[in-house]
Amino acid sequence: MTRKTSRFSSFYLSLFFVILYLPVLSVILYSFNASPSTAQWTGFTLDWYRVLFQDRVIVEAFRVSMQVALVTAVLSAILGTASAVISMWVTERMKKAIQGMMILPLLVPEVALGIALLIFFNALRLPFGHVTLVLSHSLFCVPYVYVMVQLRLKEIDRSILESARDLGATTWQMIRTVILPLVTPSIITASLLALAMSLDDVIISTYMSGPRTTTLPVHIFSMMRVGVTPKVNALCTLILLGMFFVVGLSQLFNKKQPKEEI
Amino acid sequence: MKRQRFSTVVGVFMIALFALAAVFYTGDVAEAAGEINLMTWGGDFIPRAIISEFEAETGIKVNYKEVTSNEDMQSLLEANPGQYDLAVVTDYMVDILRQTDMLAVLDKDQLPNYANINPVYHGAYYDPTDEYSIPYAVSISLLLVNPDGVKALGANPITSYHDLWQKELVNNVVIVDWSVEVIGVVLKSLGYDYNETDPVKVAEAREKLFAFKPNIMRFETNTPEDSLVNGEAVAGFMYSNQAVKGVQARADLAPVFPTEGVPIFIDSWVMSKEAPNKEGAYQFLNFIMRPEVAARIADLTKFTSPNKAAEEFLPEDFKNNPMLNLADEVLENASFYIGVDRVLDEYEHIYLEFKLR
Amino acid sequence: MQTLKRNILAVPILVWIGLLVGIPLIFVFVLSFLSRDSLGTIVFQFTLQNYQRVFSPIYLRVFLNSLLLAFLTGLVTMIVGYPVAYITANLSTKKRALSIGLIMLPFWISSLLRTYGWMILLGNSGIVNNVFLGLGLIDRPLSMMYKFGTTLIGTAYMLIPFMIVAIFNSVDKLDRSLLEASYDLGANKRQTFFNITLPLTIPGVAGGFTLVFIPALGMFYVSDLLGGGNTIFLGNLINTQVTRGRNRPLAAAFSVAMILVVLVVISVYSRVAKDDREGLFL
Repeated sequence: MTRKTSRFSSFYLSLFFVILYLPVLSVILYSFNASPSTAQWTGFTLDWYRVLFQDRVIVEAFRVSMQVALVTAVLSAILGTASAVISMWVTERMKKAIQGMMILPLLVPEVALGIALLIFFNALRLPFGHVTLVLSHSLFCVPYVYVMVQLRLKEIDRSILESARDLGATTWQMIRTVILPLVTPSIITASLLALAMSLDDVIISTYMSGPRTTTLPVHIFSMMRVGVTPKVNALCTLILLGMFFVVGLSQLFNKKQPKEEI
Repeated sequence: MKRQRFSTVVGVFMIALFALAAVFYTGDVAEAAGEINLMTWGGDFIPRAIISEFEAETGIKVNYKEVTSNEDMQSLLEANPGQYDLAVVTDYMVDILRQTDMLAVLDKDQLPNYANINPVYHGAYYDPTDEYSIPYAVSISLLLVNPDGVKALGANPITSYHDLWQKELVNNVVIVDWSVEVIGVVLKSLGYDYNETDPVKVAEAREKLFAFKPNIMRFETNTPEDSLVNGEAVAGFMYSNQAVKGVQARADLAPVFPTEGVPIFIDSWVMSKEAPNKEGAYQFLNFIMRPEVAARIADLTKFTSPNKAAEEFLPEDFKNNPMLNLADEVLENASFYIGVDRVLDEYEHIYLEFKLR
Repeated sequence: MQTLKRNILAVPILVWIGLLVGIPLIFVFVLSFLSRDSLGTIVFQFTLQNYQRVFSPIYLRVFLNSLLLAFLTGLVTMIVGYPVAYITANLSTKKRALSIGLIMLPFWISSLLRTYGWMILLGNSGIVNNVFLGLGLIDRPLSMMYKFGTTLIGTAYMLIPFMIVAIFNSVDKLDRSLLEASYDLGANKRQTFFNITLPLTIPGVAGGFTLVFIPALGMFYVSDLLGGGNTIFLGNLINTQVTRGRNRPLAAAFSVAMILVVLVVISVYSRVAKDDREGLFL
């Protein structure tokens, strides 16, 4: 199998990324817009960055969002992977039950889920804030991890597991040495997705956040009535720059890794 | 045996995680003594600068829960009335919350600054005895028009709702996305009441509404003024604070107060019946009803202030703006959205038919 | 006894999801049979009226609209996303991580802002029109906003990473020896792709389709902003009925109907796929 990328492939991939980043670039561009609305471009300014640095509310909202998203991503990665791995051992019927259960959180409209969970958590006397946010977010993130990991597990050759067992491997050893290494890339991509989804959720978060735990998307959406100003664009631009930095760093780190690993 | 160990590991793992989540508990305890929780639209609907001043002056911390709609506030308040002290909701929601017994009766003795409120806003339908609510921000809906654009299309100048039906305006009108308001516009253009419930008249409005569809370019509730600013549309029906922003961005746009009269909305403070810190809440209400504070809020938010005493502190451009300093005849001719609920289903159904055309 | 022991592992997961989703689901189901009074307060009185409404022709059109949008979104993301996933999976390890990183990165920007980003691009006085006018490709601004197609672009844009990641996962784990065997047997690239790669990655495509199709049914602010609210989809309808329509029972009935429709679609489609080993998802 050739790993060389053809010219067409490179072209297609580049074109895709250009389109993927066009709206992102316009978001960045309009963080420098003198006008508070996106309707017109009235000149270049850095004012919104100044406004942003003085705004403790939006920074606090971003902090809450990050806390929730990180815990959600870890929790979903563990629960989703555990569900997928366990599915390999249980009976066929149980497996179907798990699959059915996993699709449910995606099916219920978010508003309905939000209001129902509001009433339910309130009955449990759970204080609204981080806990309720993480619990509700992982609810719609776990299925994604489950599907991604499941897709990969499908191809594991049963015979490998059988022979591993014949060689005296315990279940736990099998999971650790055979299954987990195989699904790790899926777990990583899926938890990145979970992180992103948690960071972007509005509707459920509206009902799940407490008076002191406004998340960034809730903050942004609730601004709509009085107008979303470019300070939000400025914040997103900085977040994106930070992320590019992280991705760049990981690239450097990858380079230093010894070759034999590949 | 081996399998059992695996299940123990998974079990311990999960318990550990939930324990970890429990650690976060401490951050989410109910409000402390020196705090108040208020809830309303976000952004700077209640300017943070004002809140900071209040916090500095009284030492009371204000937690601001941001939501996107009246109905979200209703759900949150109903589920957990002890979590919130104050909320700002629109008039019709005051009416609903009052009738569903969610609100505390305000003790006017603790609110000396209530005297600053303009008596014009007293005794409104949603709170006839003024026991439950304090008006905070007043807005109307009106037309924002690009007169040159209208002329360029060959249409007559727009002075009334009825003028929006001119054939020349095809695909050039932007309107808020709410059944009650859109149908209200049609009813008004027919000379009927804004809250008409007579089935015959509503049926007539339905026909006229359907004839309106070709002219509508876009339904937009939050930034309809943008469509006039960037020239996509030549006329729009929107809230006054949005129209103010439109004129600020583009001076050749002009507000039009339709001859048929305008809808009015009064966003008002209410107190939860189970407010945990009523005393702090009264202090806050008093603070924002101070004339200078109310004037600054009005200027920052671009909503008309119901605070009579605040008027002298308002900047000149605010006082000279007819969309902010509402003329008496505009107020007299304004109508509230009242109890359309009896026919709300019908309205929603008509609106759906209209949109799917 | 052995099977019981095996199944016990799954119990915590079933209980966890069952509690958090099952209870809301029951709540929605019960609510869909209740009525409400003129204030919008729920009244505990059994009625089938909400379902009568759901099945009236006008609301069925909303269903069809939404199904069409969700299906086309799935199709568009699949056609655009498959090559991306395939090419990415065949990159070197380092470039692959970069590519996946770049696919995920836009997610860090609020979807509301990215929607505004599309409006900045496609508006009448937007960037695309200005560039085209400047290049002399057109002499009047193209009207691209507030159409079904604009909503489709926006929805597909928001959801395409799910499709790509799902397909990527199944291309990535392909057994390379199979492909080599195919080449050894004299098959060319195209034959190998259609005979080996594509069939083996169908589960990934199907998984991605599910992860795109279902959220596409429920989205609403994308169609409000990019579609200009000119038509109504299920997501808008349910959201409006919960908020301004103040008719929660009706919204609940629509939710139940939507869940049933999705279940029917999925079961029909797994029946068609005729693969008994594949469950609901695939």
